[in-house]
Amino acid sequence: MFFEDDETLQMYVEESLEHLADIETDLLAMEEQGEEIDEELVNNVFRAAHSVKGGAGFMGLDVIKELSHNLENILGLIRDKELMPSSEIISVLLKSFDRLQELISNIETSNDQNIDEYITDLKNITNDTLPDAEKKAIEEVCEIKHPMSATALKSNRYDIEQAKKQGKFIYILEYDLIHDIHKKDKNPLEVINSLLKSGIILDCKVDISYVGTLEDDIPNRIPFVILFASIIEPDMAPILVDLDAEYVFNISDDKLPEQEEETQATPEKQETASEKEKNETENFPNSEKTAPPVEKEEEPEQHAKKGSESQDSEKKSASISQPPSKTSSQPQANSSEKSNSHPENDQQDTQDDAAKKTISSLRVNVNLLDSLMNLAGELVLSRNQLIQGLTSSNQHNIESASQRIDMITSELQEAIMQTRMQPISNVFNKFSRVVRDLSQTLGKEIALELEGKHVELDKTIIESINDPLTHLVRNSVDHGIESPDVREKAGKPRQGTINLKAYHEAGQVNIEIEDDGGGIDPEKISAAAVKKGVITEQEANLLSDKDKANLIFAPGFSTAEEITDVSGRGVGMDVVKSNLERLGGIIDIDSRVGIGTSLKIKLPLTLAIIPSQIISAGHEKYAIPQVNLDELLRIPAGDIKEKIEKVGDAAVVRLRGMLLPLIKLSDVLGIEKTYKDPETGEIKPDRRSNVADRRSKDLFNPNDNNNFSEEEINERKESDRRYHAASAINIAVVSAGTFRYGLIVDDLMDSEEIVVKPLGKHVKNCKGYAGATIMGDGKVALILDVASIAEMSQLSTASSSKKIAEEKEKMDSSSERLKDQASLLLFRNGEDEQLAVPLNLVQRIERIKSTDIEVVGGQRVVQYRGGSLPLHELGEVANVQPLPEHEKIEVIVFQLTGREVGLMVSPPVDAVDVVLSVDEETLRQPGIIGSLIIHDMTTLMVDVYEFFKTLHPEWYTEKEHAVNIDPETGESGNVKILFAEDSSFFRNQVKGFLEEDGYDVTIAEDGEVAWNIINSEENDFNLILTDLEMPNMDGFQLTAKIKNDNRFSGKPVVALTSLAGEGDIEKGKSVGIDDYQIKLDREQLLLTIKNYLN
Amino acid sequence: MSKYKESEYLELATFYVGEALCGIDILNIQEINKQFDFTTIPQSDDFVKGVLNLRGRIVTILDLGKKLGLSPVKKHKNNRNIIVNFHDEQIGLLVDKISDVIVAKKNELDSPPANLGGIQGSYFENIVKTEKTLIGILDIDTVLTTD
Repeated sequence: MFFEDDETLQMYVEESLEHLADIETDLLAMEEQGEEIDEELVNNVFRAAHSVKGGAGFMGLDVIKELSHNLENILGLIRDKELMPSSEIISVLLKSFDRLQELISNIETSNDQNIDEYITDLKNITNDTLPDAEKKAIEEVCEIKHPMSATALKSNRYDIEQAKKQGKFIYILEYDLIHDIHKKDKNPLEVINSLLKSGIILDCKVDISYVGTLEDDIPNRIPFVILFASIIEPDMAPILVDLDAEYVFNISDDKLPEQEEETQATPEKQETASEKEKNETENFPNSEKTAPPVEKEEEPEQHAKKGSESQDSEKKSASISQPPSKTSSQPQANSSEKSNSHPENDQQDTQDDAAKKTISSLRVNVNLLDSLMNLAGELVLSRNQLIQGLTSSNQHNIESASQRIDMITSELQEAIMQTRMQPISNVFNKFSRVVRDLSQTLGKEIALELEGKHVELDKTIIESINDPLTHLVRNSVDHGIESPDVREKAGKPRQGTINLKAYHEAGQVNIEIEDDGGGIDPEKISAAAVKKGVITEQEANLLSDKDKANLIFAPGFSTAEEITDVSGRGVGMDVVKSNLERLGGIIDIDSRVGIGTSLKIKLPLTLAIIPSQIISAGHEKYAIPQVNLDELLRIPAGDIKEKIEKVGDAAVVRLRGMLLPLIKLSDVLGIEKTYKDPETGEIKPDRRSNVADRRSKDLFNPNDNNNFSEEEINERKESDRRYHAASAINIAVVSAGTFRYGLIVDDLMDSEEIVVKPLGKHVKNCKGYAGATIMGDGKVALILDVASIAEMSQLSTASSSKKIAEEKEKMDSSSERLKDQASLLLFRNGEDEQLAVPLNLVQRIERIKSTDIEVVGGQRVVQYRGGSLPLHELGEVANVQPLPEHEKIEVIVFQLTGREVGLMVSPPVDAVDVVLSVDEETLRQPGIIGSLIIHDMTTLMVDVYEFFKTLHPEWYTEKEHAVNIDPETGESGNVKILFAEDSSFFRNQVKGFLEEDGYDVTIAEDGEVAWNIINSEENDFNLILTDLEMPNMDGFQLTAKIKNDNRFSGKPVVALTSLAGEGDIEKGKSVGIDDYQIKLDREQLLLTIKNYLN
Repeated sequence: MSKYKESEYLELATFYVGEALCGIDILNIQEINKQFDFTTIPQSDDFVKGVLNLRGRIVTILDLGKKLGLSPVKKHKNNRNIIVNFHDEQIGLLVDKISDVIVAKKNELDSPPANLGGIQGSYFENIVKTEKTLIGILDIDTVLTTD
């Protein structure tokens, strides 16, 4: 080849691979379309093959040319609707395109490759489709001579006939490589590509004979001839192809050879394919195989493997009879030394190599490049500004310049990151094929759904997740989805579904692989793990179900009985996990037996720069990647005793109802714990050994006035460092995968974006660190590896999770017993009086100035929201202390009977969750239901309704008894409600206002009693009101019984609860509860009941 | 910039580790500095003193004394870090005191004894004799290879 241009070759390779990249998806789409072929789609694939062929012809890549030519034939047939793309045909096409891709990726050796098998398969297809005459035409190769020279181009008759049929003209175009292309600064591939846009290239070649030998003069013309078919008229043609008219030869019909040709066979130029020809043979040592359809079995006997050099060199000769091996395609010359590979080559390997080789270039949006240019320009300007400011010592300029540089740097970083972002569709699209092939092999029916193809990831991440994702998808197909029969038996649809989803969330990319297969059985996994010695039996017993499922990630694990080719080598999952972790990502598994499995992968958006939280421990700073950080906690000195508890010998903190194990970073690392002296700012060693080491509060009980005076206590508190702000505990709540814990650190500092730098060999093996970074002050800070720190402190999932699970159970069961939890609003009246009202009755809390209170008609009011809010204090009804005088007054606003009223109270006003065990006798009085102990103080529970009713009886009109007309009997009677509630407090309350509203209420102390009452048929209730937590039979069971019994299923059941969690509501719905009401919300309850009774 | 022909001569930077005088081919040395503000790495091997920020790169600093099996390098104002190139990283070796750069003829090098100054012979590539003393030329690969 004249150019010898690695560049041109490289470009050809890149372009071809690009063309071929989409082919797989298109072919699969074609398969699905079946009869209704989308012509566009087929054209796409056709054009891809065609341009590959064109370039190959030019480059002398004969094997590629032949393969693509055959592919083209088939696609042409499909496009012309003469061939229907069946599954088998598509499979052949897929395989052939795969091979083509391989050939192109290993372009140097491509001419040595053996593609007979593929050619035969392809030819078989075409042959079956075409009528005999046309079959011959395909075989037949015509030689078309260049009018002016000895050059001859060849094409098979079939193509020429087709072209003529389409009304195209056949031209021979003669480009001069030197003048027309090289000097005009064009590039042969560009020429070919532009020609392809307006017609078909049937053949092309470079007339190398013109180059001559070294002894000749340098040629001034090297013809590049192309056999071109196009509908462009002869007079327009030269303009289109950008040639002088004298070099455009219109081959009219008469010049076309009519019949078979006269080209001699050159017997020693054995083609690699079988040669039994009866047809004309060719003189093209290149690749045109005119072998007629041969039985496949005969093939192997015939063909000679292309290992021998002689074949190669023969093949290399250009179609011109001159022997020009010195100028023949260089890449092939080199390749003759390479051994050839089996056609059955390990496709995986070459594909991988190909993948790695080709990912040396990238497509970038031009807009992005423009903005990068802009940013670079701005950076230059700001730098100039900075330098100027520095030399002239202008502080202001320096500051503004550095601000700009700060901003520009961030933008620059982002823009550069974006250039590396590629859509994940690159990876996803391959999976359609993987799933298709694999499910066919295994005889399963599987549909693959892809979501979020546009989600973009950094290039390196995309390259790295390819393998792990493939493994996971294959696992799903192999182990996850059951065979159609099994599925049918289980009542599932025969076709299984695998869902691949990608989306951005919280600064990370999430990838989910979900299947509706058999799920992962924790017991099986754990048994297998014990068997393989991954964990001991005792350890296995300590694991929760989720942990057991996670065992599949343990090294050396595999449940497949035999190692199938597909998966099950026992090296899969843990490699996947470690690969993902290396990328800074995490993987989690969630599975339910019989229902399906869901694998969730989280990956950071970029590898190099991560946002992190800087903390200090010992005398050093460390960084915690934000991806691992959930939240930051600070426990003030005074609360430590309460909030931090011990489970076994591990310290835990209760966070929103969950127990969080605590780890002291300084202990794990074996460094000295320090604290910052609040006055001097010095870092000093902290000698507290016990996390929960605080003087007992009781010792300083303010109520115990005997030993200490107030001032003394306060002073002591302040000077005692243990109570000081500095002795608060700083906790970073981190998570490694699903395992969360709190890391106790000395100090919490800023959050910063840091550049991750790898640690050297000697430190790499050190546990606990995931790299290092350089801080703004030049010092090195180590980046903590949250997962391994947990391991180091032996607080891994296996050992502690059970303990924590136990604790949780205890907590849950205790909350079961202590049902009737409620949220209360605490406030004060007199100095030592603490009172409470149910929080859900509170509309708002306001603070008003005492000067704003007006007295109108003996009633205190305040202007409020455009109206007057009546104000009262507890002393008006109850026997309590008078409200002390203050400038500012807290007012709790309630809404009753549609009106708003305010209750004046003293601070502190606080909300609290407590167990309602109300003492209804001791301190009962008007307006006060009873008392309970909250925060060690006797607290009076205010009865809001009674209170305001006493003050404003006119608001509550007498209600008639609700009358009910029985539709069947026409009798009228009172509405009867059955109320099941075990707490007497609530019973009385609710019964009270139900009866006031005119209902007949029958009470039952628990579900069983209620059921007996209903069953006895003495009373016919219109509505059942039930508590949920009751001893012998709870509300759920009661409802279930009622609804399942035909006699009563029509009755509405309303549940009263202090719990209204999602889970409970679901549970309630499933047993048939009609409505949920919060206890003590009288008005709402009455309204609901009224609705249900109508 | 050596005026000596590369093939014949060897330039060595010499330094003391404990009592032993050792040398390293200067072609392997990136620089020698006095930066001691390393960041310690808790839980690392005991010969790892910490890491340094060397113009944007993170360099691990090892206590050469400990690494060679001697007692740790005592803190002294004469201490220096010798930053060497090792595969594709840079590693710093903390030594007690540096000495001269000497030139040795390659053909005048001897093979190392089993033990030199308390350091095992396997750490040395060769030794060179000078008028006053013996200098053991360290084999960086052996010294720095992690198990």
